[in-house]
Amino acid sequence: MINQILLGLSTGAMYSLVAIGLVMMYKVSGVMNFAYGNMGMFMTYIIWWITSMLNINLYIGIIIGIFLAAFMGISVERFGLRPIRHLSHGSMLIVTFGILMILEGLAVQIWGTEYKSFPELVSGTPFVFKGEFGVIVLRKQDILVFVTLTIISLLIFIFTKYTKFGIAVRAVSENEEIAGYMGINVGSILAFSWAFGVSMAALVGVIAAPKVFVSPVMLTFYQIQGFTAAVLGGFETFAGAVFGGLILGVIEKLVGNYISEGFKATISLIIIILVLIFFPKGLFGRNVRRRV
Amino acid sequence: MTDKLGDIVISKLQVWYGPIHAVKGVDVKIEAGKITAILGANGAGKSSTLKALAGGVKYIGNILLGNETIDKLSVHKRVEKGIVLCPEGRGIFYTMSVKENLLAGAYRNKKPDFSLVFETFPILRERLKQTAGTLSGGEQQMLAIARALMSNPRYLLLDEPSLGLAPVIVNKIAEVIKRINDFGITVVLVEQNTSLALNISHYAYIFENGKVAASGSSKELLRSDIIREKYLGGAKR
Repeated sequence: MINQILLGLSTGAMYSLVAIGLVMMYKVSGVMNFAYGNMGMFMTYIIWWITSMLNINLYIGIIIGIFLAAFMGISVERFGLRPIRHLSHGSMLIVTFGILMILEGLAVQIWGTEYKSFPELVSGTPFVFKGEFGVIVLRKQDILVFVTLTIISLLIFIFTKYTKFGIAVRAVSENEEIAGYMGINVGSILAFSWAFGVSMAALVGVIAAPKVFVSPVMLTFYQIQGFTAAVLGGFETFAGAVFGGLILGVIEKLVGNYISEGFKATISLIIIILVLIFFPKGLFGRNVRRRV
Repeated sequence: MTDKLGDIVISKLQVWYGPIHAVKGVDVKIEAGKITAILGANGAGKSSTLKALAGGVKYIGNILLGNETIDKLSVHKRVEKGIVLCPEGRGIFYTMSVKENLLAGAYRNKKPDFSLVFETFPILRERLKQTAGTLSGGEQQMLAIARALMSNPRYLLLDEPSLGLAPVIVNKIAEVIKRINDFGITVVLVEQNTSLALNISHYAYIFENGKVAASGSSKELLRSDIIREKYLGGAKR
């Protein structure tokens, strides 16, 4: 049981990472990015390509890939979304759908549908702890995911709470127009949120790639689960995204283990519906206290 | 703030919201160092004029700051020029703390300077850690003005600062506005509360249906019979 929960937390941490990126883009620009998973997929392909074809060191490749991802985020926001910002959110959603299909088509065209293997970032024998509680197996891959999630959560916390730019990000996410009157360059904050979001997608892609292999649909499931995690957490706060992901991972693992592996996806969709019915603001959504 | 302030001259300003013609060609002159009031009923185009001046809405027409045309400047560039709008309906960041609201206001400054704000609004110093949404209505309005002051404005545009506040608080806000002006900040005050605005401003414009219906020094307007009848409820003073 403890091992199941641990495994669940490990997958859950991946969902949390996905959710953090989604929430950042949604909070600031108000757009749910459906192309998120495919943007990560595409960047993972590029990283795979530059490291295996051009023989660049894996870590340098990943850093280049993440910079390219940020650049992709900025260009999509600047040239794909900002020109139609004044229309409706619906039209921006359609743009993200379009990008989803374009990237998938491009990936198939360029690299084919064959699965490509991606090197493990960390490998080696798992840590095994024995004690009165039984045996706990902790894979190095799990540790990598936990450490990444912890670092990113801490960075986001410090960034949004104690830096000027972070406060500006929150100001824009609360009220774009008024943030502009404070002298905040709203456009650059929007671009930043997309740069951050797509970089997260690339990071998720790289961490997931050794397990799911590099393929055009490699992150589709992560995208759906990340979305569920974000809904669980209320789609407003980063803490919600982190805990939503972890909870979802554990539930999924327990369902898979004790009920049926085939029910995993179904259960997560049922969870979305239940949460929306009973907690419209998510499990961690805050009710804004305000006087009128 | 040592360099000489230029006047702001708005000429032939028009604002459209889709098919709605909100401002139909107004000319307003805002003298540096003074309080200029823009008065009128709901939908007269006051707020739209103010937003156009801050760069928040698209407009046709010409706005001069000193000798310089600022029509092409975006909102945050105008903030750098010292034109700062304090939006209507308080418009504070409700989920953020008082301090974070003030810091957001000081976004353009290298080092946030709280001294002017704390001197003007001592109450905010005690509330720094409180979530802005839990402040009382009057405190929220003070926070909104304080946040605008954090941007080091040379021209402060106040949109309906007395809206929905108790009379005692309204008087306090009026005093604050006068004090801000004493610091050398030019104030543009959009108000529906005509008597308040005429009493603290030097010069006033009265808007009707997107046009300037009357203008003059506030003292003269206060004495004028038509204004008294139409906007001050006919009260003889």
